[in-house]
Amino acid sequence: MHFDWTYFRDQLFTPSTAFLDGLFLTVLLAVSAEALGMILGLVVAFGRMSRNRALKWLAVGYIWVMRGTPLLVQIVFIYTGLAAAGILRFNDINVAGIVFPGSVQAGILALALHEAAYMAEVYRAGIGSVDIGQFEAAKALGLPPSMVMRYVIMPQALRVILLPIGNQFNIMLKNTTLVSVIGVSEMLLVTETINSATFRTFELYSVLALYFLALTTLWQLFLNWAERRLARSRVPQAAKQRPASDAQEAAA
Amino acid sequence: MKPPRISDERLIELNAVEKWFGPVKVLDKVDFHVHRGEVVVLIGPSGSGKTTLLRCINHLESVQAGQVRVNGALIGYRERRGKLVADRERDIAFQRREVGMVFQRFNLFPHMTALENITLAPLRLRGVPKAKAEEDARALLARVGLPDKADAYPAQLSGGQQQRVAIARALAMQPAVMLFDEPTSALDPEMVGEVLTVMQDLAKSGMTMVIVTHEMGFARQVSDRVVVMAEGRVVEAAAPDQLFANPQHPKTRALLSAVLH
Repeated sequence: MHFDWTYFRDQLFTPSTAFLDGLFLTVLLAVSAEALGMILGLVVAFGRMSRNRALKWLAVGYIWVMRGTPLLVQIVFIYTGLAAAGILRFNDINVAGIVFPGSVQAGILALALHEAAYMAEVYRAGIGSVDIGQFEAAKALGLPPSMVMRYVIMPQALRVILLPIGNQFNIMLKNTTLVSVIGVSEMLLVTETINSATFRTFELYSVLALYFLALTTLWQLFLNWAERRLARSRVPQAAKQRPASDAQEAAA
Repeated sequence: MKPPRISDERLIELNAVEKWFGPVKVLDKVDFHVHRGEVVVLIGPSGSGKTTLLRCINHLESVQAGQVRVNGALIGYRERRGKLVADRERDIAFQRREVGMVFQRFNLFPHMTALENITLAPLRLRGVPKAKAEEDARALLARVGLPDKADAYPAQLSGGQQQRVAIARALAMQPAVMLFDEPTSALDPEMVGEVLTVMQDLAKSGMTMVIVTHEMGFARQVSDRVVVMAEGRVVEAAAPDQLFANPQHPKTRALLSAVLH
């Protein structure tokens, strides 16, 4: 077996600027696509639950297509496909001296559109987990639908959807590697570029894997912390479904 | 003879209301009205449509035929060129402010304290300043006998206490009428009394109330009129003394003999 420990160690602890830029881009892609996907997902979820049939079936169709086709295909379709068909070309944007390449825009958009389909179902499950009596009590007070959601339903649904959101972002971090195919210089593409000059594939991909492992581990640690915090603030809810007499005994 | 506190004005009026759940007709051309200041108790065997009738008043259930009016205004629909057109949710929400509702299973918002449960609607819908809303909420909590539970979460309260907070929450919007859907049915027996006491005080204060209940003693003591339903129809309506002493309809007799013995 050939494993160049020195090369491995150097790449791991003193990575090149190009690799660090790739790391930054990976995080930027994941965070912005997740944020956008969560917002779009909420729109799709409300469409999916709408009483308006056209809206509902539009949302159903969207979820069906986005979950039923490979993300890699969607990325190429959105960036290369749309441009080739003359429908939409992603041009570089220059914001105060910082260039925002078209491929990055398309990458974020594709990841977000894909994510939205999954998030829509996560939201729907969360909202569906809230007792029907909560909707009725809120409506009976005279709250319009938007306020019913905002003040009564979503805060309760949030407890249920936090865990799947954690999962989704973990997947998102790793899925960013797919946009390398349209030339976004995130960590994988940078690694491939270095590899094509050095052919130290084993060492380089070990480093790449460890960096991803570090990212997902940091995320998991954050989730653990958030879950503990939420559990603490949720003490009163613990006895929610118990009959009143039990709750009183527990309090005594 | 009706007591003088009851006005002639019909606060709630249902005309020939029909409602199906799929193929099942749950309300069959129901006429029903409540005068301002009146306390009406709805009784009937389970499945007779009394809860559905109550839920039609604030449009938690839509009706397929007939009309529901509260304070003269058509609920859930508007007339347009002689036809009834379904209202938008937002407009229905506006109408629901006039109608308070108390549920069998309390339905307090578990992520809010008692105080937050009560202040939510006045804050968000009436634009009441926070300090004023909280002051009013504390007064309401005192009124339902829970002055020291403002900061308690629903799960920290007994069933009877939760139901009293739920009553306070509905009262906070200063509704013209209060609907009670079997408010004591989910309670342990020892907690029924505390809720009924609050409701009795409310009735004495002149609140218009429609109550679905199996508490015949309470119905007899507090109500001005008892309405009996069976198989989706109103079969009898009378003052409680008259109804309990001398029921006219066979369904009423069957119901009373089943409940009272």
